[in-house]
Formats: sequence, C-alpha cells, structure tokens
Amino acid sequence: MPVSNDELKGLYYYLTLVRTTDERCRRLFKQGRFHGTYFSAVGQEATVVGSCYGLRAEDTIGIQHREMGAAITKGMPLKYIMAELFARKDSPDRGKSHPCHYGWKPLGIITPASTIAAQTVIATGCALAYKIQKKDNVAVCFVGEGATSNGVWHEALNFAGVHKLNCVYVVQNNLWAESVPASLGVPVEDVSERAKAYGFPGVTIDGNDLFATYETSQDAIRRARRGEGPTLIEMKTYRWYGHSEIDPANYRTQEELEYWKKRDPVPRFEKILMERGVIDESYKQATMQRIEREIEEAIDFAEKSPQPEPHEILEDVYAPLV
Amino acid sequence: MKMMETAKSATGAIGSDVKTMSYIEAITEGLMEEMQRDERIFLIGEDIAAYGGVFKATRGLYEKFGPMRVIDSPISENFLVQGAVGAAIAGLIPSPEIQFDDFISLAVDGIVEHAAKMRYRSGGMFTCPMVIRCCYGAAVGGGLFHSQANQAWFMHCPGLVVVTPATPYDAKGLLKSAFRGQNPVLYYEHKRLYRTIKGPVPTHDYTVPLGKAAVVREGQHVTVISYALMLHRSLEAAEKLAAEGIDVEVIDLRTLLPYDKETILKSVEKTARAVVVYESSKTMGVGAEIGAMIAEDGFSFLDAPVRRVSPPDAPQEPFAPPLAEAYLPDANRIAEAIRETVAY
Ligand SMILES: Cc1ncc(C[n+]2csc(CCOP(=O)(O)OP(=O)(O)O)c2C)c(N)n1
Ligand SMILES: [Mg+2]
Repeated sequence: MPVSNDELKGLYYYLTLVRTTDERCRRLFKQGRFHGTYFSAVGQEATVVGSCYGLRAEDTIGIQHREMGAAITKGMPLKYIMAELFARKDSPDRGKSHPCHYGWKPLGIITPASTIAAQTVIATGCALAYKIQKKDNVAVCFVGEGATSNGVWHEALNFAGVHKLNCVYVVQNNLWAESVPASLGVPVEDVSERAKAYGFPGVTIDGNDLFATYETSQDAIRRARRGEGPTLIEMKTYRWYGHSEIDPANYRTQEELEYWKKRDPVPRFEKILMERGVIDESYKQATMQRIEREIEEAIDFAEKSPQPEPHEILEDVYAPLV
Repeated sequence: MKMMETAKSATGAIGSDVKTMSYIEAITEGLMEEMQRDERIFLIGEDIAAYGGVFKATRGLYEKFGPMRVIDSPISENFLVQGAVGAAIAGLIPSPEIQFDDFISLAVDGIVEHAAKMRYRSGGMFTCPMVIRCCYGAAVGGGLFHSQANQAWFMHCPGLVVVTPATPYDAKGLLKSAFRGQNPVLYYEHKRLYRTIKGPVPTHDYTVPLGKAAVVREGQHVTVISYALMLHRSLEAAEKLAAEGIDVEVIDLRTLLPYDKETILKSVEKTARAVVVYESSKTMGVGAEIGAMIAEDGFSFLDAPVRRVSPPDAPQEPFAPPLAEAYLPDANRIAEAIRETVAY
C-alpha cells in the first residue's frame, strides 16, 4: 500500500519528537534534574517509530529500557513519560519502578520489569488472550539483539509459532548488548534467521530507514491481524551513546560510531520528504516549535508533580484479599 | 506410613448439603465450577488437556471446555507464567499449571518479577489476576526431583498470595477465592493428599477466604501451627497427646502469604506455647518466619521457646526408602517436640 502524505507527516512528527525528547532527557539527566539512570536510543528512532505508528489503542506493545520512542509513538502522553523519569506521584507507576520503565494502560503499553526479554514474553501472552477472545488486536514485542539469547525469548516465539499468535517481534540489532558485541551474543549474522526455527517468517531490514521499518511493520501487522501468525523483523541500527548515560562506551571504535552517524535516520527521512515536497522548511520550523513547546510543558508537569509520600510504600502491593 | 484421616473441616459449619470427595476431586470440581461461572478463566499447562494432567486433576475439563480454555503447553515453564501474566493484563484469568514444584525454579522470574510485582510496578494500573497451580510435596516416593516443597521461597515475595489447602473443603473453597480476586495466587496442592484425604464438601457454592488461618482443633496447653500434609500429622500427634492429658490447639495456616498473624497470636496468648510443623528443610523455612513473628509480637505470651519441627537441612526428599522414611517428621516426632515444649 502506498504511504500517504499524511502518514509521512505523522511519521516525521514522531521521528522528530522522539529524537528531540531523547536528547532533552539526556541533558536533564546530566543536569541532575532526574536521577537513577537513563537509556538513550538516539540513532535508533526509525525502528520504534516505524513499528508503532498507526497501531490501534487496543494493540499492545511490550517495551523495555530503550523503547521510550515506542511509548511516545503509541501515544503515551509526554507528561507521563517525564513524570515517570522524574519518579513523581503523577507518574503512571507512582514512582514505584525506576526510570525508563514506561507503561500506560489505556494504550496497552505494558509497564516492564528489568529482566531482559520478559516484555516480549508478556506481550506474547496478551496475544494468546487475543486469540482466545477472538480479537484481531496485535502485540508488537520489542527486544535488542542481546535479549534474543535469553531462553524465555525462545519459549515465547516457539509458543507464538505453535499457536500462530498475532505477534510482531521487532529485534533492534544495535550491535551491542551493554558492552558485549553481537558477535559474542548471537552465532548467526542475522537474528532473523532464528525465526525459521519457530515456523514463521523472519526478515532483516535497514533499521535506520523509516520507510523500510514502517512498511515492513505494516505488512507484518496486517498479516498478524488476518490471523496468519507472527513475523520477526530484525532492524539493524546503532545507538550513538553508551548503554546508559554513565557508560562512556569505550569498547567501540570511533570509526564505527562515525559510520553509523552518517546513517542518521532523522535527516535521511527529512531529506526525502523535502525532495518530494511533502514538507518544506517552514513546516519543519513549525514542527520543531510545536515539539519544543510540548516537551517544555511535559517537563513542567513532571517537575511540578509532587514526590510520592512515604506512606505510599504499601500501596498497590495487593488488591483487596477475598 | 499410613495416612490418618483425622482432618476436620477448617470451617466447621458446612451444613447438611454435602458430599464426600477426595482432595483432588475437590480441585477438579472447583476448576470446573469456576470455569463455568467465569468464561475468562482458562487453563494452560503440560499434559493437562485430553490427558487430564499427570495426576488427573484436570480430567474432563478439556472435553467440557475445549482447546481454547484447556491448553496443552510446550515444556516452557518460564513462558507458562509470563505468558499468563500477559493474558491476565489483557483481560483473562489464566491458570497455568506447574507440573511439579521441582520445576518451578524455571518460572521464578514470571512469578516473582512479573506476576507478583505487576500491580506495584505499574502503580496499580495493571493487575494480574491468575491462579498458578502447582503440585508439590514429599511422601510419595518421588525422590529428589519430584518431591519438593518450595513455599518458603515464595513467602518472600510481597504481591503474591500463597495458599495450600489440607482438606477437600479448603481445596475447593480456596481455589474459588483465588479465581475471584485480583491478586496472583500460587495455589499449592499436596500430591500426597490428592487421594489419601477425603472429606465433606458442600454441594452449593462457597468460598474460603484468602489470608485467614483456621483453628482446626481447640486446646489449652500448646499451639501447633501447620498446613497441608504436616497438618494431618500434627492432628495425629494431637490425638496421641490427648490420651496423655496434653491438650493441643492446632492451626491450619491455609494461606502462607500474607498469613494470618492474628489467629496465631490469639492462640499463643491463650496457650503460651507454640510449635511450628512444616515440610521442607529447616533453615529459613516456613517455621523461621512464624517463629520470628511470635518472638517479635508475642514474646510476652510465651512460657517456652517456639519449636520448629521439620525435615533436616537436606534436600527434599531423598529416594531410598530408609532415607525417605527418616526425612519428613511423623506424628511421633511431632508429638515428642510438643511434649518437650509443654514440659519446658
Ligand atoms: C535477564 C537480564 N540480564 C541482564 C540484565 C542487564 N542488562 C540490561 S540491558 C542489557 C543489555 C541488553 O542488550 P540488548 O538486548 O541488545 O538491548 P540494548 O540495550 O542494546 O537495547 C543487560 C545485560 C538484565 N536487565 N536482565
Ligand atoms: Mg543491543
């Protein structure tokens, strides 16, 4: 299906929003305005924007530390993203979890734990429910390439293959799992090869090409909605910064970083939209202004939100016992 | 060793519309009735569908509810529980079955990090109503890897409800409560009790509340706190001691987390002596918590130290018959500990 100009503009908005928010969050962390940790995905934005744009409210996404952009594109209000990072009372998790555990129930964004790969597994369980409930909702399940070596990831894909669940498995292969290179994590060149073992298609695409991530995801999502089963999409990409903000990423070379910076997904997409006349300079300026304003409002909301109070420590441990 | 059928119903007032059934029949019937009542409930586990489960706890359910509500799963314990967490947040009430407690270690991430913490970690947005059924326990000749009783591991997991019934009445009533709440419940069923224990079960719908212990035998001299198989052996010991003039009060915990401190303390206030009888190795077992709680909140009631009666600190349960025989405390060992506590 050809991608309409409205879709392209929507994708452009989210691509720019995710990039700008991420860079802003890094600054906020460095300024000490929130604490704990922050996992930047700058350089990888096209993966999450392409796979989450256009999902329905009732579709689920299973995300983890690096997928803030997925939550934003799915529609999680920016103010709650910020309140989550700031661990405030108005955070959807009420300050209970820790920064970068974005969750928002009205849009099926599952609040994650830290255990790598679990988000994929839980989202697969949602897809099992959709099958039982005879719904055509889709679960988009994210992991990094590192997580694909975790046993439970295999259990989930195996089960989804057996039951042809409405799942789209997005593997963001950014070449590194913290400090461990993909060459020491996965014995195959393309993680997508692993799909064969579960009886569904796997494809490897350029994760920095928003056209490719969007179109491939749309195909997989439609396939899942039709009840034809899961697809694994490996998106090759790269994170520009360290694993988290405290990681100087000394394990990689400057050349590698430069190579990938030349493949920055943001100007690449923008340039094509300009060339096609979908957007122009003034549209770009207006979009940037809107985004800056939205981010400022969100930060303001988070900073004004009260801190949780000590007595809340026991809230939400249990629902009432029956 | 012969199993004594001394178990009384925990709640007393059962009424007249009762039938007698075994512990496992009560579980099967509980599942059946709950699935009939609420079509969001589904079962998933290894060999549970047409085969009816390795102990036949799910017999007949596949035929009645079909393949979308009684699902045979691959051997994927970790997925079983984590997938169930996903299904729960998507609006269903899953009941994954872990075939033996000895394999539950493969599902710990799902139980502890996800099921138990989903509500807390999401600030109450997501809840995780689910009933993880798990068969456990020694005294069936299962050896080291088909006998374990790992309840104590999970008593350290706030957010989780851990129950284990001793009678058919409680087996069904606790199961029903587990399916009717919003919390993840780890429902531990003792395989030795499946067919050795029969008892009255109402023919009408009823529930047994979670988090409430039951005084199953009243007494004045000493409180014995136990559950499941060890409860039956404790009751047997209490009968023996009655003949000697020792009047034992016996409490069935029923819910191990969050457990009923009030009932325990009230009893210890009356008797001034406490013995905790539990399955699985001694150190950091169920008795460690109960004993510490009594020492902390009921010290002034006590006329004797709290005693723990349990297997030794060896893995549960060695296979060779003489070793197995020496492993779990029997009624004599329990009675001896009670005598010493009363004589202190
Ligand atoms: C089960 C588990 N083991 C280890 C960790 C610590 N850890 C957090 S992120 C990470 C690397 C993840 O790499 P990858 O899956 O490629 O995702 P990326 O961070 O590159 O997005 C590790 C080892 C964890 N969170 N969970
Ligand atoms: Mg990676």
